[in-house]
Amino acid sequence: MSANANRASADRALVITRVYDAPAHLLFQAWSQPEHLMKWFGPVGWPLSLCEVDFRKGGRYRFAMTGSSGQQNTPFGGEYLEIVPDRKIVFDNAFENNPAKKMVMTITFEERDGRTTLTWHTLFLSPAMKDEYVGMGIEAGANSGLDQLGDVVVGLKQAAQ
Amino acid sequence: MISAATPPLDLVFAALADPTRRAILARLAAGEATVNELVAPTDLSQPTVSKHLKVLERAGLVSRGREAQFRPVRLNAAPLAEADRWLGDYRRFFTESLDRLDAYVNELKRKEGRHVSKRK
Repeated sequence: MSANANRASADRALVITRVYDAPAHLLFQAWSQPEHLMKWFGPVGWPLSLCEVDFRKGGRYRFAMTGSSGQQNTPFGGEYLEIVPDRKIVFDNAFENNPAKKMVMTITFEERDGRTTLTWHTLFLSPAMKDEYVGMGIEAGANSGLDQLGDVVVGLKQAAQ
Repeated sequence: MISAATPPLDLVFAALADPTRRAILARLAAGEATVNELVAPTDLSQPTVSKHLKVLERAGLVSRGREAQFRPVRLNAAPLAEADRWLGDYRRFFTESLDRLDAYVNELKRKEGRHVSKRK
C-alpha cells in the first residue's frame, strides 16, 4: 500500500483499544453469542432489544436498542466477513434505513499473561462519514474531537438559555 | 443510542463545522441581531455573512424576523440540543459498551472459575 493509501485509510478509521483482565476466549465469547451480547452491548440505558446472530463467516446479525422511551431505535446489522476464534471478528455495519452508509468493524483480541488487549477498529467509507460520526475532523485522538465539538454545542446551548 | 443521521442533523453538523458560523451563533446567543450588526465586528462583507446565515438558516439554527426592513436574526437552539444528544450518544456507545463488557467479562471469568480449575 502506498503512503497515500495508508494516510487515506487512517483518515477514515477510528481505533479504540481497551485492556481487560480476562482471557481472550471469554471476550471472544462475549462478542459472538446473543445471550452474552445482550448483557453488555450498547450504552447504559440502551439495552439491545433485538439481537439476532448467525455467527459464521457470511452469516448476518441484526441488532436494535431500546431506550427509556420504550421505542426501539432503527435496527442495524451486517455480515460477518471474517472470524478467527479467540483472535478476531470482522463485520460490516449499517442502519437498515441507510444501508449504503456502511462501516467495517474489526475487533481483535490479543492475550498476554491472562490480560487481553481489545482493539475496536472502525473503517468508515470516507473521511466525511467518519467526521459525521465521530467529530468534525478536528480531533487529535479517538475522542478529543468529539469532546471539542460536544463542548461547542453545549456552550452554545447554554448561552442560548 | 446512535440513530441514523437524518438530513437535518447532517446540515446542523455541516453548519457548525465553520468557525465564522460558530462566531455568528455565539453572537446570537447574546440576543437577536440584524445582518448589519453581525457584519460590523467582522472583516467580512455583508454578502459573505448573508451566505453564512443562509447555511445556518437551512440547518434550522437561526430564523429571520418578518419585518422586511430589519429582519433580525435569532438563534434557534433546538437543533443544537439534538446535535448534543446525538454526539453524547455516539461517544457513549463506544465507551459505555466497553465498560459494560469489562464488568460482564469479569462475571464470565468468575463463572468459568467455578467450573474449571484456574488456568495458569
